[in-house]
Amino acid sequence: MFGWVTLSSRRPGSRLPTPVPEAHVSNGQRNSVVLGPKDRLVGQLFIEGDLRVAGTVEGALEATGDIEIAGGGKVNGQVTAYNRLVVGSEASLIASDVRVARLTVEDGATFSGRVSMGPHAEEPAPVAVEEPAPVVEPTPQKGKRR
Amino acid sequence: MDVQEAVAEGATENGEVKRDGRKQFQMGPGDILEGKLIYDGSIHADGRVEGEVRVTGNIDVANGANVKALLEGSNVSLKGAVEGAVTARDKLTLGKNARLSGDVTVRRLQIDDGATLNGHVRMGDFEQQASGQ
Repeated sequence: MFGWVTLSSRRPGSRLPTPVPEAHVSNGQRNSVVLGPKDRLVGQLFIEGDLRVAGTVEGALEATGDIEIAGGGKVNGQVTAYNRLVVGSEASLIASDVRVARLTVEDGATFSGRVSMGPHAEEPAPVAVEEPAPVVEPTPQKGKRR
Repeated sequence: MDVQEAVAEGATENGEVKRDGRKQFQMGPGDILEGKLIYDGSIHADGRVEGEVRVTGNIDVANGANVKALLEGSNVSLKGAVEGAVTARDKLTLGKNARLSGDVTVRRLQIDDGATLNGHVRMGDFEQQASGQ
């Protein structure tokens, strides 16, 4: 019993199947998830980091970083990107709600839905829950004023 | 302020510039258009526009322009600020400085990084496209 406890408390990391760091990923590498062309998701997905979708998604996507719908990716549902959303030229996004800070839609893309942009886009309700403010990013370039 | 100041470019007549044989309604940064404009040709909108603009050709909103109007055209290209519903029978392009708040109906859509859009986007074909014109 005692030995067991000591062992586990000595090296907890080795016992965890996926040592996912909490919010901030050290060494500057951001968490990134890819759904390939043959992948399919039905439901909800929240990613602390970036998400790239080349497959099919039915449901709600939320990422604290960027979301890219690339290749022949198809998303049907709701999309929230705290930073940037890119819809590629062969991709499709049929959304009820799109909440993003920045948006790029390439020519040829299928895109419809209700779009809300701007810094306030990430607060869905006036319920003020204090965010831990985990991601320390290098400040994106300020808009170039001439 | 003057109603229209014709910009010297090709044959001009009441601010009208012919380009490739098509009529072009050319506005400058100091121009103001208020009301409803239905025009057989294209418009380059600059300065201030308020009301409704429906053209058979293209609509091009300049960087720095301030538009509070309903816009309808074949290809619509926005580089300035627009408040109002936009219909592009073919393609809508939002440039990197574009700010659009209003509902959008398009066949094709391109949004450049940096553009701001708030509104509902509907993509599809147009059943109400007037026959002939």
